Amino acid sequence: MFILRFLARRLGQGAIIIFLVSALIFTLLRVVPGDPVRLMVGGMAPDTLVEEIAAEMGLRDPIHVQFGRYMGKVLQGDLGESFVRPASGAAVGGASFDDSTRGERAKVLDLIAETAPMTLQLAVLAMVFALMIGVPIGVWGGLYPGRLPDRLALYTSSLFVSLPNFWLGIVLALLLSVKLNLLPAIGYRGFSYTILPALVLAVEIAPFIIRTLTVSVAGVMGQSFIDIAKVRGLSRNQIVFRHALKNSAVPLLNLLGVQFSMLLGGVLVIEFIFDYPGLGLLTINAVMQRDFPLIQGIAIVTAAVFVLINIAVDLLATAIDPRLDY
Amino acid sequence: MALDTTGATETLLSVRGLGVAAGDKPILTDISFDLAPCSILSVIGESGSGKTVLARALASWLSAPLRVTGGEIRFRGRDLVADPGHARSLAGREIAYVGGNPAGALDPTMTVGAQLVEKLRAVRPDIPAAEARAKAIRLLEAVHIPSAARRFHEYPFQYSGGMMQRAMIVDALISDPALLIADNITQPLDVTVAAQILKLMRELNHDFSTAILFICSSLPVACDASDEVMVLHEGRVVERQTPAALVARPGHSYTRELIAELPTLWQGGETGAGREIDRNRRAIMSVRGLAKAYEVRARGQAGVSRVQAVRNVDFDVFPGDNFGVVGESGCGKSSLMRLLTGLERPDAGSVFFEGENVAAASPKRLRALRRKFQLVLQDPYGCLPPQSPIGAILEEPLKIHRIGSAAERRDRARAVMAEVGLSDSLYRALPTGLSAGQRQRLNVARAMILEPRLLIMDETLSALDQTEQGKLLDLFDKLQAQHGFTYIFISHDLTMVRQVCSRIAVMYLGETVEVAPNERLFFDPGHPYSRALLSAAPTLEERRYRPEDCLLEGEPPSPIDLPPGCAFASRCPQAFDRCRAENPALRARGDHALAACFLNPDPDIALHETATETPHA
Ligand SMILES: Nc1ncnc2c1ncn2[C@@H]1O[C@H](COP(=O)(O)OP(=O)(O)OP(=O)(O)O)[C@@H](O)[C@H]1O
Ligand code: SF4
Ligand SMILES: [Mg+2]
Repeated sequence: MFILRFLARRLGQGAIIIFLVSALIFTLLRVVPGDPVRLMVGGMAPDTLVEEIAAEMGLRDPIHVQFGRYMGKVLQGDLGESFVRPASGAAVGGASFDDSTRGERAKVLDLIAETAPMTLQLAVLAMVFALMIGVPIGVWGGLYPGRLPDRLALYTSSLFVSLPNFWLGIVLALLLSVKLNLLPAIGYRGFSYTILPALVLAVEIAPFIIRTLTVSVAGVMGQSFIDIAKVRGLSRNQIVFRHALKNSAVPLLNLLGVQFSMLLGGVLVIEFIFDYPGLGLLTINAVMQRDFPLIQGIAIVTAAVFVLINIAVDLLATAIDPRLDY
Repeated sequence: MALDTTGATETLLSVRGLGVAAGDKPILTDISFDLAPCSILSVIGESGSGKTVLARALASWLSAPLRVTGGEIRFRGRDLVADPGHARSLAGREIAYVGGNPAGALDPTMTVGAQLVEKLRAVRPDIPAAEARAKAIRLLEAVHIPSAARRFHEYPFQYSGGMMQRAMIVDALISDPALLIADNITQPLDVTVAAQILKLMRELNHDFSTAILFICSSLPVACDASDEVMVLHEGRVVERQTPAALVARPGHSYTRELIAELPTLWQGGETGAGREIDRNRRAIMSVRGLAKAYEVRARGQAGVSRVQAVRNVDFDVFPGDNFGVVGESGCGKSSLMRLLTGLERPDAGSVFFEGENVAAASPKRLRALRRKFQLVLQDPYGCLPPQSPIGAILEEPLKIHRIGSAAERRDRARAVMAEVGLSDSLYRALPTGLSAGQRQRLNVARAMILEPRLLIMDETLSALDQTEQGKLLDLFDKLQAQHGFTYIFISHDLTMVRQVCSRIAVMYLGETVEVAPNERLFFDPGHPYSRALLSAAPTLEERRYRPEDCLLEGEPPSPIDLPPGCAFASRCPQAFDRCRAENPALRARGDHALAACFLNPDPDIALHETATETPHA
């Protein structure tokens, strides 16, 4: 009952957020220069044809009319069709302009559904790596504030932060893939192709985890219930693993929520470098091709994921710390 | 008293020549004493005398820079100083410790019950979980936690301070320790709750044969609680006697002073009752039917609940009065203070200051009025800006009200500093270096620099020890004589109120249940709650009201959604049917005394008709 009311409220707020994001993206796309129809039909096509097609597609109607029509479809679960991509896959170039192919353009939802699992896989693996690196270092640093482990944590995270991700990606690809031939790097033909980009992402995320954990663990270790636990007879392990870690988890959880949302939204640079067929690559291509419906679709899905992850994080946080009233 | 035959032959704890230092500075020197099984030994001493350090040393819980410099602590014959491993194995099992701050003592993210079970199984792994759970619930019941089986599953933040302290006592006793070290456990509690805890501790000592080292800073409490009292002074044991002998024949000068200065409730001494106040003049502040509710969102409930913080408050303060408002924590004292000073507007009722309604004044008018009544706040550490020099802090109110030139303001600040006893050299100092007493003087100086007529003191003295309190009270007296101030003291401390106030209002759950002159309240209280407060007040005197007859069980009900009838009915030893149906209004008992209880004879007319109307709910 309580949970249901919370969910109803948060989902309602989420719907408003998604609506606003859609409206913003929709308007921006139509205000910025660059005519998608010109790109679709190719530079050689006559202006009259461009206008004709544009009018036929409804692109010359007032923006609010277009938006209303679009949202109406979205509500029925239809994110529209790509301007550019045929159902088969590769983008349709302007030169191959041919009116008859327009019926076979790919559904935006299908395009997203194909790539999203790839990004999800990458994001989850990156998170796992980041936690494997960040949690031990961060907790250790937090247990000994001002001492060697704390400084090690600081050095490690400074080092990680100072590595630019595209540079690290290229270096790792050269080292592990080209020189040592341990891991494949470019494209995707199986799970092993996820490991390298995930590692690069993990190095990017780990400093945040380390920093958040050192601060929150050190803060919790300074609280009186931890001090008193000693005289109550609890062992050091019980104090650290049952109490200190649980109490430091909420800031970490919030951080993970934000990071995970960002990962799922598509990791543009990394997917581009490794030519990894995820949402990020899809987004880059969609933007370059002025593929309005696809860009809008990705924005809506990303916003929805963001909302859902936030709700999940808050639910988990209250499960960990019941004082956090929603 | 509790020495049984086997216990009398061997001592449980034997401390010899114990020394503790912080770095190079000695904190405890040559401490030696014995503690027999099942006995209660109180340790008292002024703030900073080393009581907490002693408690921690005995619990093998010293942390850097504190360290044992010599001596031994023998527990059942084995030296804990020489054998830290053994000491660690005793912690929480044979030697239990309860501290004075129950608020942060348990993990906020786990239920109280789970932590009790965890602790028991940490020190006694052989006990199965189900048995541990049953034992925890049994003990929670033993310490009078209402519906213990349900409370077992609640989180620490759902417990009130008093309940939490009782839960910590359960936590300490659950492993059947032979020694309980209780460091100032009643300090943060209201008097009625503290009295319950003391009673409980004696019962537990009796039922579970636990020896108790009871550390406290109040002589009456120490004497009340124990078989013997040990006095600590500057890190040394200066004497040890039974309570009766200690009070009758104190051996050390510190103890003698302590007893001589001890304020009394009934045996004469200095009281605020003597002053002659003309109560037929116009009141300087007159409060009628004041009510304020706050809306809170309760967990797991639809909509909002209303917390009735202040209800039906009625009283008059006359020029030259020392008016006291007493009551336990959460009774609405501080909400009342905010209403009196116009910081918040009431839902109903009025606050007349010299004939003008503060509750309805425009913001501009309120600013002007505030010059004439000033507030001196509770927390000596929280309310001074740490970065500005003392002189600037004092001149700020003058600047805000655009009074005088810079030079005049400086002279005025220096004059006020001299008046409250802050030396001139502090003018450019930052407040960070001030002691609690000096900070409180600075707060008073800041309040009186605008030459107000009325000063409202919200728990101004509660953070100070007995000696420092006495000095400040003398200062207040002097200032009153010079400037004709009227004071309102908001306090939970009956002894203080007895010393200084001429007229006292007793609050319970947001209501004034009794308003009476000093003598009348202490010798002929008109409300059962006042009697309960008097019976629980710590004092060495023969009590006029015995706790057995008057002391309350439990704690005040939540001010959310109060039941109809007398708010006190759920705890009142004398409640009868009418009390549960109808809320008694304040009624005159003659001689300017009023009480809200049906047990008082009906006067011909109710004095304050307004008080009978319940504010809009
Ligand atoms: N961790 C510490 N490091 C350095 N000095 C300390 C430490 N703890 C206590 N002291 C010093 O030891 C002395 C005794 O302190 P202690 O806390 O035992 O006083 P107390 O008698 O318990 O006072 P109170 O009644 O205020 O609780 C004080 O001078 C204090 O400054
Ligand atoms: S009115 Fe009744 S319940 Fe209230 S205080 Fe008097 S006797 Fe007790
Ligand atoms: Mg202490």
